[in-house]
Amino acid sequence: MNEQQTAHRIKQLLNKGLDLDAGTLARLETARKQALARQRIEAPSFVLGWADNVFGRLGGPTSIIPRMLLPMAVLILGLIAINQWRDSQTAAEIEEIDAAVLTGDLPLDAYLDKGFDAWLKRSSH
Amino acid sequence: MHPDRQKGSSLASPNELAEFLASVERRAYKQALFAVRDSENALDIVQDSMLKLAEKYGAKPLAELPMLFQRILQNTIRDFYRRQKVRSLWVTLFSSLSSGKEDDDADPLETLASADDSKPRDGPADRLEQSQLIEIIEFELRRLPARQRQAFLLRYWEELDVAETAAVMGCSEGSVKTHCSRAAHALAAALRARGIDL
Repeated sequence: MNEQQTAHRIKQLLNKGLDLDAGTLARLETARKQALARQRIEAPSFVLGWADNVFGRLGGPTSIIPRMLLPMAVLILGLIAINQWRDSQTAAEIEEIDAAVLTGDLPLDAYLDKGFDAWLKRSSH
Repeated sequence: MHPDRQKGSSLASPNELAEFLASVERRAYKQALFAVRDSENALDIVQDSMLKLAEKYGAKPLAELPMLFQRILQNTIRDFYRRQKVRSLWVTLFSSLSSGKEDDDADPLETLASADDSKPRDGPADRLEQSQLIEIIEFELRRLPARQRQAFLLRYWEELDVAETAAVMGCSEGSVKTHCSRAAHALAAALRARGIDL
């Protein structure tokens, strides 16, 4: 008798030895039912599967707003606010300089004179 | 190849998973019992394996379930061995309560007479003979080296092919063939030594 024949005969006998006692069968049935209660069912389509994956990673559809959209909105509003503040600061500085130039005793032509510039530098030393 | 694996690659429905588990649970229990030699532990191993399969791979195609389940079952048995090893190490270190030789090593023929007393005597003689033969085969299977028994049962009882058995066992296909051949020869020799011709 070769290996295959021996194995086949042993398999037949092992199958006949599968008559288990009622207690063991009941335990196996309970285990099977518990396992089935926890079966993981995947979404049937690719799109639903992708959506499930994304929402799943984000913790579900209800938490996508606080976890992703809200920080992005805060960031964008912050950038807009910073930009406007910088614009107003620049405008204020220009206003201040303009006011100082216009209200000063020195005529405007003096600022265009290169000699006046050189005199200012010399006198500051 | 099992008929379960010829049903294509459709995802397993709850009913199909239920049918699959029902079709393998007894063999799985016996496999675990051969390995760990304790029915409570064997039941726990089967239960853990079923839970892991359903939780992690419950939505896999039906055709993939047999191999996945066998892989989970063998890993769970191996985990049990590891825990046993650690436990026995602590027991050896801190306890002197050595119980000596385990009862499981006893020859089943020695207990067959008393076991048979509880069964009705009106059954045919060949049925009694067959039940004795099954007990002897199960006993000899338990005595096989773990890897040989694992390869033999996966290959010939679970009907995995050589490549699938190798994948489950984490070894080469050549090793599977060697283990199977040695197991079959060892079983045949052991049965011949008892005067049993299959």
